[in-house]
Amino acid sequence: MLDNYLHILIFILVASLISIAPPILGSLLGPRRAYAEKDSPYECGFAAFENARMQFDVRYYLVAILFIVFDLEIAFLFPWAIVVKELGMAGFMAMFVFLGILVVGFIYEWKKGALEWE
Amino acid sequence: MIALSDYLLLGALLFAIAVAGIFLNRKNVIILLMCIEIMLLAVNTNFIAFAHYFNNLSGQIFVFFILTVAAAEAAIGLAILVVLFRNRHTINVDDLDMLKG
Amino acid sequence: MGFEKLLFYIFAAVTLFAASMVITRRNPVLSALYLVMAFVSSAALWLLLEAEFLGIVLILVYVGAVMVLFLFVVMMLNIDVATLRARFIHYLPLGLIVAGIMVFDMFLVLGPADFGLDQFAKPQSQPADYNNTAALGQILYTTYLYQFEIAAVILLVAIVAAIRLTLRHRPETKYQDPSNQVRVRKGSDRVRLITMPAEPVPPSLTATLGATHTEMTE
Repeated sequence: MLDNYLHILIFILVASLISIAPPILGSLLGPRRAYAEKDSPYECGFAAFENARMQFDVRYYLVAILFIVFDLEIAFLFPWAIVVKELGMAGFMAMFVFLGILVVGFIYEWKKGALEWE
Repeated sequence: MIALSDYLLLGALLFAIAVAGIFLNRKNVIILLMCIEIMLLAVNTNFIAFAHYFNNLSGQIFVFFILTVAAAEAAIGLAILVVLFRNRHTINVDDLDMLKG
Repeated sequence: MGFEKLLFYIFAAVTLFAASMVITRRNPVLSALYLVMAFVSSAALWLLLEAEFLGIVLILVYVGAVMVLFLFVVMMLNIDVATLRARFIHYLPLGLIVAGIMVFDMFLVLGPADFGLDQFAKPQSQPADYNNTAALGQILYTTYLYQFEIAAVILLVAIVAAIRLTLRHRPETKYQDPSNQVRVRKGSDRVRLITMPAEPVPPSLTATLGATHTEMTE
């Protein structure tokens, strides 16, 4: 079974080679003559106003959290989609109840306005 | 041939690293949550190794549910963290001493 | 077989390296990225254990969603890294001792003496057309039906808790509502042009108007 994944292993090897080799080569071969002014942050010629790390809005967090929940729901749907014919009505009802419970959450977030981008 | 004990010892080492991380980063709640994720990863690796060597899929089902619960836990834990930061402007564990009982 | 063992050692080494980087980095962003590395190499280890579906779920859910959430929170909180930088370096020996004792104990309990190849032989590897996802589905929706529905309830709790805790409406922000814009009807809601007779200009205003007019012409 693992033979099926040989392509992915080769892909990982090539990808890590391509992504690791250039920085190493660059740091080995490139000239580095650093001094304080060259290393200082440059913001159009004047001293930097603020930290480079910008603060994110809470709304991104809410969207990410709702994404996680529905991502897991999809993960539960995958095995079901493969075996639903063999499971018959019982399997169908199991997923129906599962999705029904999650639809309650979906209605809640819709009504609360969590999906609105003010 | 990879033995079952190899996977179990890998799980033990991962768990020990996470415990050392909790000692090392006692102040930063975010890194504490990440250490908990590493612990869960170690436990999941053990479950899958047992499922493979016992030829029993129940261990994999367990891991699936652990992943679900851990994702929900991370989501709610980070939500609590956000509210905490909003109210106290810090996530330093030492400053969270309001609860007196 | 030797090749699989080599892969196991490579991925195990990467996982342990990434995990130890997670706990020693000062910048939480770097910690999160190393945690991604640990998850990816663990997914490879799970593939070696023929848990292909769970390996892919680990990458899909953890690397794709949970770690993004961690990064959002790290970026959102705008933490003063300097105060958190004060390390508990004097707790490190204690932590290492506890971790070392744990590893030693677990080596005694779980070591090759009791869980080696003699006790648990490596099972026959599955045929190439073995479908791990289907095998999981066969028992997940029948034997583990109640646990499956409880998982839905847990996800529901996560939705409600996250919204309840973090959602905050800000009435002062101005924004466009496209559905209201579309719903505008011709006639009553739009700008109307109306005709009205010209107002008679009061004499005081004519004087000032005339004065400015003469100033401008001069």
